[in-house]
Amino acid sequence: MTILDVKDLKKTYTGRFGGNQVQALKGVTFSVEEGEYVAIMGESGSGKTTLLNILAALDKATAGSVMLDQKNLAEIKDKELASFRRENLGFVFQEFNLLDTFTLKDNILLPLVLSGKSVAEMNERLEPIAQSLGIADILNKYPYEVSGGQKQRAAAARALITNPKLILADEPTGALDSQSSSDLLRVFEKMNQAGQTILMVTHSTDAASHANRVLFIRDGVVFHQIYRGESSNEELYQKISDTLTMLRKGEAK
Amino acid sequence: MNLYPRMALQNIKKNYRFFVPRILTQAGLLGCYYIVYTLYKDERLRSVYGGQYLPFFMAIGIGVTVLLAVILMLYTNSFLMKQRTRELGLYNVLGLEKRHVGKILFFESAISSVTGIILGTIFGMLFYKLSTLFICKLLNVDSILGFYYLKSKTIISTILFFVAIDVFTYTINLINLARMKPVELMASAHTGEKEPKVKWILLIIGTITLAAGYYLALATKNPIRALPIFFLAVILVMIGTYFLFVTGTIFVLKRLKSNNNYYYNKKHMTAVSGLLYRMKQNAVGLASICILSTGVLVAVSTTVSLYTGMEDMLSSKYQQELYVRALYQDVNENYVNIPSDVVIKSVEKSAAENDVKIEKIINQRFLDIVYKYENGKFTYEYTPGNFSGLADILFLTQDAYKENCGEELNLKKGQVAFCSINVGDAKLFNEKTLKLGDQEFDIVKTLNFFPISMDTISFMTCFGVVVPDEETINNIYEIQKAAYGEHADEFTERVAVKYADRHLASDKGNAITKTISSELHKYIYAQSDFEEGKIIYIRADSLWETSDTFYGMYGTFLFLGILLGLVFLFATTLIIYYKQISEGYEDRKRFQIMEKIGMSQVEVKGSIRNQILLVFFLPLLVAGIHICFAFPLLTRLLNLLLLPKVSLFVLCTCITFFIFATVYIVIYSITAKTYYKIVH
Repeated sequence: MTILDVKDLKKTYTGRFGGNQVQALKGVTFSVEEGEYVAIMGESGSGKTTLLNILAALDKATAGSVMLDQKNLAEIKDKELASFRRENLGFVFQEFNLLDTFTLKDNILLPLVLSGKSVAEMNERLEPIAQSLGIADILNKYPYEVSGGQKQRAAAARALITNPKLILADEPTGALDSQSSSDLLRVFEKMNQAGQTILMVTHSTDAASHANRVLFIRDGVVFHQIYRGESSNEELYQKISDTLTMLRKGEAK
Repeated sequence: MNLYPRMALQNIKKNYRFFVPRILTQAGLLGCYYIVYTLYKDERLRSVYGGQYLPFFMAIGIGVTVLLAVILMLYTNSFLMKQRTRELGLYNVLGLEKRHVGKILFFESAISSVTGIILGTIFGMLFYKLSTLFICKLLNVDSILGFYYLKSKTIISTILFFVAIDVFTYTINLINLARMKPVELMASAHTGEKEPKVKWILLIIGTITLAAGYYLALATKNPIRALPIFFLAVILVMIGTYFLFVTGTIFVLKRLKSNNNYYYNKKHMTAVSGLLYRMKQNAVGLASICILSTGVLVAVSTTVSLYTGMEDMLSSKYQQELYVRALYQDVNENYVNIPSDVVIKSVEKSAAENDVKIEKIINQRFLDIVYKYENGKFTYEYTPGNFSGLADILFLTQDAYKENCGEELNLKKGQVAFCSINVGDAKLFNEKTLKLGDQEFDIVKTLNFFPISMDTISFMTCFGVVVPDEETINNIYEIQKAAYGEHADEFTERVAVKYADRHLASDKGNAITKTISSELHKYIYAQSDFEEGKIIYIRADSLWETSDTFYGMYGTFLFLGILLGLVFLFATTLIIYYKQISEGYEDRKRFQIMEKIGMSQVEVKGSIRNQILLVFFLPLLVAGIHICFAFPLLTRLLNLLLLPKVSLFVLCTCITFFIFATVYIVIYSITAKTYYKIVH
């Protein structure tokens, strides 16, 4: 079943005085099936952040459509947007975006609190997630008391706790050292194996090599894609870096 | 233009949110200081009737303004520097040496200081004229034309004072700059803060001091002791307010947080945790706002009610405009009253000399006795120095009553007519019989008006009793003489004069009392039973003199109250403003995160509003509670200052509170706009 269907998505930024139009997305089309783990790669300026913002309903497209679970994002009313995002999407950011006035536990529970769930249900949901992410014994610590990797795992737990249809991850390993990065990527793999659909934007080949499918964006269009097929992480890594080299050569032409 | 001044100017423009209030603060404080200081120095005002109180009250004003000026200028400066530490750290990283940064800071201070001083001086000079007009109005004198008072000395010393403050703050900045480590500064903004802990000792001390302050305010019944106790209570409540704001709020929030069902709720979670941190940073500022607000309310409401209550008080005491009492000690040390016809003659002479018409002259003879008043019973148990539970009774025979107001009472033996003159806080007297020690009288008539008022202005509970005859009044006199011995009261004999024109000009009035006094002195010196060195008591107690004194005292007092009220309000505004913008910068990131993880704009705004409302209206609320508790004590203090009417004070306080709350809300909503702009 298709969870996310993006059709001919365009986004044009207009300068302050009407002139100077910049086309960030020139017609992006792709879809994500339930249970998939997709990585989107691209250089800075390729339009991947714009794409992610539109998928996250933080920004509106100029043309084209985004269907999340058969629902058109453009048709959701502003009033319902926040709760729609909360219930259908989970977010993991490069900068963690944990509130430093909350303990890790409170940070993770915040989306549930906003949806008005009961305390019993919150604890019921928290326990297995915290166990599987390995943060059960630091739940009562504050973000500034734990390491970057632990913060990002807490952020992942916050994204997971609402059982979202899709998790959007924006450079989740960007602020982590290599050990924490590979820990987190293993966590993502585990989440995916448990059935969670994940869409991750990254420019780290290593991070992308954990996905089932890698999309390459350049100059506002989907330029290329690689399926994992039967290849291992290492083989996929090789394929990705070959593609990137080819992309760069193409650029040089 | 040179590099440093140019950079300084750019910084001021860029940080206008911090610099503009700083300049305005300096201008406002300088203006106020100039006005108070010049009023203190202005010798022409002192010569006005009642103007002699001006230097005293203005000296208080100078003290308070100086204190506030130093505190507020240091506060704005430290706030300004704190917000800019990262910027200054960046300069260092970019290769500017500390001495270069010091130069930039110098030009920044110089530019803002000069602007502030010029604005303040203009403001002060403009409003000085207005202040003098206002004071003349309050003192009830015609304003003197050409009231411009420009003395280079006062202007220069005012400016020098503020330059000195600026030099001081600049020196502090240089010291801080020298201590700065740029790398730490750049990093410091990223570290998280620990959740505040409840400081139990402070919580306990705060609760105890606040409770003690409130208790003192409620329990002190004796107005004479009210003044020192008032100051003690003020200090206790101030300590309590600070400690409870610092730790009590955190205690409550922590309790709320530990209640899972309350805390894990959409409406409460972000508010409670946000407030915990907000309180940690702002408790001291908020406590200061609370205390300043209380100060404004007390200063303005008491002075306004004193001033407005003055006419009432004067008209109840002075049923006639002039009372003359004259007696002397003869060679045998007995007190001899000067015969009333002699006094009347002197009064008539003075009236003729000054071309004033007399309407009526009355001889008044009455007895004024202090009783212990308890459970509707009056007993002879008064010891000097003890003022609680006392009441004063004025006794008059029915003949004297008739002479004073023309009404026949037809009292028989054992009957009296009764009047409550000033009841104050004491229980109303509703008995059918009047019990004076062992004597009992039937009250056959209740009077609404008593023709005699006490000889002195007093805050004491006071009743009036009309007895049937001389025998009864003499009997009462003898009983009290036996009970009180050397503290016993004598009959008061005085001549009351009612003039055709109640409001005599002050100089005419003074001439009248002078003539009377010298005439009576002449009479006494001519007596054969008088010798040099014995006591002479001549008192010409006039409405006009008392009213001059009162207008002078309370008028200046009111002016000071309003001025300090304005200065306090100014300080409150400034603190609120700075709180709002510093919070804005801190909350910005927090709310951006919340929006990203699925909180709607409306929810974010609602959460912000709830937190801000609580933070900014808590001080006002607590100030209101303080006022309520201070009320009984303030009433007693005002009694001491001769304002007997509680209802007037209630009204003045309510109106003051209402106006203050309105101004507060206006300030809040203006600054809240800046806050929302920063957050979004």
